[in-house]
Amino acid sequence: MTATLSVQSTAAMNHNWRIGFRQTVAMSKRSVLALWRQPALVVPSMIFPLFFAALGTSSFGRAINLPGFPKVDSFLDFSLAGTIVQGVLFGSVQSGSALATDIENGFFYRLMAAPSSRLGILVGRLAGAAAYGAFQTLFFSLLLLPFGMSIKGGPLGVLIMVVSGGLIAIAISGFMAAAALKTGSSEAVQGIFPLVFIMLFFSSAFFPRQTMSGAYKHIADFNPISHLIEGMRDICIDGLSSGAIARAILVPIAIMIVSFTLALRALAQRIAAQ
Amino acid sequence: MSTTSPSEFAGTTMRSASALSTRALRNTRRMPSTFLPTLAMPIFQSIAFAGTFFAITKVPGFPTDRSINWYMPLAVCMGAAFGGVGLGFSAIKDMENGFFDRLRMAPTPRRSLIIGPLISCYIRTLVVVTVVLLVSIGFGARPTSGVVGLAMLYIAALGLSTVSAGWGLGIAFRFRDMRGAAIMQLTLFLTMFLSSAQTPLNVMTGWLHTVARYNPATNILRLSRQGFLGDVTWDGVWGGLVALVGLSVLTLWFARRGLDSLDR
Repeated sequence: MTATLSVQSTAAMNHNWRIGFRQTVAMSKRSVLALWRQPALVVPSMIFPLFFAALGTSSFGRAINLPGFPKVDSFLDFSLAGTIVQGVLFGSVQSGSALATDIENGFFYRLMAAPSSRLGILVGRLAGAAAYGAFQTLFFSLLLLPFGMSIKGGPLGVLIMVVSGGLIAIAISGFMAAAALKTGSSEAVQGIFPLVFIMLFFSSAFFPRQTMSGAYKHIADFNPISHLIEGMRDICIDGLSSGAIARAILVPIAIMIVSFTLALRALAQRIAAQ
Repeated sequence: MSTTSPSEFAGTTMRSASALSTRALRNTRRMPSTFLPTLAMPIFQSIAFAGTFFAITKVPGFPTDRSINWYMPLAVCMGAAFGGVGLGFSAIKDMENGFFDRLRMAPTPRRSLIIGPLISCYIRTLVVVTVVLLVSIGFGARPTSGVVGLAMLYIAALGLSTVSAGWGLGIAFRFRDMRGAAIMQLTLFLTMFLSSAQTPLNVMTGWLHTVARYNPATNILRLSRQGFLGDVTWDGVWGGLVALVGLSVLTLWFARRGLDSLDR
């Protein structure tokens, strides 16, 4: 009898997991479709990084010969990783803002009233952000290739960068989701954008840390965005190495653990407050 | 039937404009959140650009070895320009809540609806330029040609705020809702960055060099940097002055036509 109950409860658990998984997939699809159907949300996170890449290449093209600058054939080689992370950061703010909009317009509470997976609401949103981040990485990499950029890591390097792009999107979207769940206001999430922008500028996104000095260098050294960028950059300008791959994958995962924990806690608080 | 003399008309214009500028400045005091980003962004830009792109000053031909001397005038000009388009946002808000209709019904000269906010914009620009300048000096900026050089920075900032205010108001009067806000900001952002914003023409390569050469913003930025890259020279000044006067006339005319179109 105990064995029968155990088999039944395992089957029920599996069934619950399957339903939870299906709901999470449905939520992910919804968040990706929302981006597809509202191009106005997507365009800035695609256009602005490309604009800055084009601008940087023309403005700072001669800087590649400066002492301390990594050995690259073109400034584009250097700027690709910064361009990708910039796009992913902008996209992640949108993702957090969309979750906050769900709270503002009541959709989030309808999901709460339905017998749906609580975790699926968060994971679905983050999975959607990851898909978009991976797409942005592939899009920027392929689009800049005809303009003289080369990726030393080859196709496998691009694949690892795409995975890294997806992980970075989850890592940053986790913070944005935490802010959205905490405040329930899309305006508040958008208000984080200047902070993201400041962090981006005080990192190695636009210029290498080796050419910085003083306080700026120290800030860039401690800024996690520098480390998010540099793993991907190493794959692009130096090729595949275990160190570069580990940096490109493990740094986003480490940040993801922190941000996901914060988002889960904010979700639990919002559910408890309901 | 009584007629209004030109001097009476000018007096009425200035009285109305003064009341409108006082209102705009009171709004700034009551809602500092509308003004603080305009002040904070240039400070951030000046410091962040100078630090991030510090090494670019080592490229042969770069006109200064202090990166903040190059980037601070850009930050000031961006602040002045965004402060100017801020008038467009205020006008849109006034149109959406109906206050602007009441202003239009009042027996005041139409031009005061442009001149009034413009005066308040000048006062805010003076504050922005002074604060950004002082903070940047704290971070290592050093004027190279005294008061005349500093005057060039103020002239460039005030001129640019006129241009962007005319542009912002013109767009606001045509769109009449917040759809116009994105156009105001985006066009300004592109115009400023597709110039010698980040590096001088002789350091640039490729397509940007061609675009920046013909972009009037390059001349305006050259004017603003006169006091930080050596001596003030007429060669470095006149192009900026011509660009500012020409663009101010065009954008203020654009704003006035837009205002008139509200009555049609």
